[in-house]
Amino acid sequence: MSNHVFALRKKIRHWGYDSFAYAVEAKPGVADVRSYRRLFREVKPDDLLIVHFSMGSEVVDQLIKIPARRVLVYHNITPPEFFSGINPHAAAFARLGLRQLARIAPAFELGIGVSEFNRRALAQAGYEETTRVPILLDWEHFAVPPNEAVLARWKGLRSVLLFVGRISPNKRQDDLVRMLAYYRRCIDPEAQLVLVGAFRDQPQFHARVVALIERLGLGGAVHFAGGVEDASLLAYYRAATAFVSLSEHEGFGVPLLEAMRFRLPVVAYNAAAIGETVGAAGVLLQERDLAETAEAAAMVGERTELREALVAAGEKRVLDFDPDKVAERTRQVLGI
Amino acid sequence: MTMGPSDLDAILTEVRARVRKKRESGEYGPDLDAALTLPLPGGRPIFSEELKDPFQALPEVLDEDIAYDPKSRKRYVGPVITVARRTLIGLLRWWLAAITERQERVNQLVARALFDLRDRPTPGLEKRLRKIELWHEDFVAANLHSVYFQARFGGDEPVIRRQSEAFVDLYKGRSRVLDLGSGRGIFLQLLKEHGIGGYGVDLDPRMVAQCREKGLEAHEVDALTHLRQIEAGSVDGLYARHLAEHILPGELVEILRACRRALAPGAPTVFVTPNPKTLTVGAHTFWTDPQHLRPIPPDLFKFYLEVEGFTDVELRTFEPSERRLNEDVPAGPIRENVKLLNETLFGDRDYAVIGHAPK
Repeated sequence: MSNHVFALRKKIRHWGYDSFAYAVEAKPGVADVRSYRRLFREVKPDDLLIVHFSMGSEVVDQLIKIPARRVLVYHNITPPEFFSGINPHAAAFARLGLRQLARIAPAFELGIGVSEFNRRALAQAGYEETTRVPILLDWEHFAVPPNEAVLARWKGLRSVLLFVGRISPNKRQDDLVRMLAYYRRCIDPEAQLVLVGAFRDQPQFHARVVALIERLGLGGAVHFAGGVEDASLLAYYRAATAFVSLSEHEGFGVPLLEAMRFRLPVVAYNAAAIGETVGAAGVLLQERDLAETAEAAAMVGERTELREALVAAGEKRVLDFDPDKVAERTRQVLGI
Repeated sequence: MTMGPSDLDAILTEVRARVRKKRESGEYGPDLDAALTLPLPGGRPIFSEELKDPFQALPEVLDEDIAYDPKSRKRYVGPVITVARRTLIGLLRWWLAAITERQERVNQLVARALFDLRDRPTPGLEKRLRKIELWHEDFVAANLHSVYFQARFGGDEPVIRRQSEAFVDLYKGRSRVLDLGSGRGIFLQLLKEHGIGGYGVDLDPRMVAQCREKGLEAHEVDALTHLRQIEAGSVDGLYARHLAEHILPGELVEILRACRRALAPGAPTVFVTPNPKTLTVGAHTFWTDPQHLRPIPPDLFKFYLEVEGFTDVELRTFEPSERRLNEDVPAGPIRENVKLLNETLFGDRDYAVIGHAPK
């Protein structure tokens, strides 16, 4: 369940309403989330049901029968093409999700895309009323000291390339690994790639990326950090020399903004919603070229002036997604 | 410093230059290329990748075996689940076989239909293509007797020689200068006389033969193909007289891009073309060659070179019009007007845009 939901719940409670988070399948260890089954008895017709949608599910068709005002927040569904042949289970759910998205459209008074890319997808899926409201970021949970062990391990190295996101075929960690092969050959033989993100959901892809690393002789140069707590994540942002994304599908791309917020320059291939999130505050690559990606990542890490300019632009960019502004906009579109 | 789109452009330009340099130095060679395109081990490529080249992927996917292991690894209940699955598979086998058999037939038919469509041209396509070719031939009067045309309108050899001589100094000390559209080899001859190494390319086999008779090196190939074929940085000077007006702007830009790769850094580059800023040229003499596609304003040509990274780009006009208004009139507005008219109507008839290959 995304932080977005909790940040939103916090805001709505702050405005003086009761607000609860329900999940079809909550990760173990996430406190204060109710089972979706309680929705059927707890929600009253005057209530507002905000459905966060990012994956097909058997229960969606039931949810839309709950009598209440219904609004859908679309985080986008990873196209099944990325999972086909690697994770048939994920592909099937993605396909189901896309079909459901269109089928349940009439049940919602409003479809909110967290990016313009998502809003367009909603409009195409048949949602009559659509609008864009960015993800509500909550910076407060980063108000912790960065993890010392992580800093000690990574800070001060010449090239530490960082990507944050679930290990998943659409995020193309495999291409980041290939890119590292160029980086170590042509730029810095000591360069390291840190991949932060859970690999629980895509064990098949993870195993194949590991095999690719072996095949390329990059063992020891790629570090899978797994899902990490905020203090470690903060430390990775602080210690890395560049945030590099070759992801081909993002509905929004929160880590891009986190990198900017924590003064890490961003180099990203422009796909899906990435361009609109990065804006002009990062090196946005229009062509998918691994060598160019590596050189761009090296440049932003090495050139102090360029780095400072990107960091300044990034910090300014983050202000465009200021939580208070987003909250106000949310309140406005929800009519509460 | 604040970032703007132009800064990003500058970064990307430098990024590309870095990659190019590493390619040229051999640091970024075929072995690294192989690493960058190494397929993900352990199974089929990511399907979204295969979709980019479906014709290659299709036969492999059609032949793929689907493995299913009914064995459950759950503790205690595992063996029961395994037996249940095996039983179900046994019971459903013939029904599933019928479905998969039909699906297999559909897949094979669709694949065959697609490959046939790809390999067999669309009905009528040949005819439509021929029409476009004819249109193009008409557009440039390809049916004109070129020998007679040359005799009536073709440039005078001594004149061409005199014009070209003005540029020879730029190539002093160079060893491999390429003349694009070398024609009768007048410029190549000049280079030879000045001890400068050079060769030409031309589309017209008769022109190439003439050059060879004079002992000059020339190849029958079009400019763009040639520039893309030769080794990067293998040419240290470029001269193209009356070539640009025979091609479309997009091709000119492509040629400049190919030059950027083919030319050694700093190599002098000269393009000569009619000067449409002189109205008697732009409105009249330019069109006496039906193969001229469109005139190129000097400032635009200069921009083309600059934007492709050529340095110290300058314009040089020459070949003054023979007939001009008499400027020998009393000083004052009338003389100024006459001068202006002379400049506009009877200015220099050709110009050269001169630059140096990007470093």
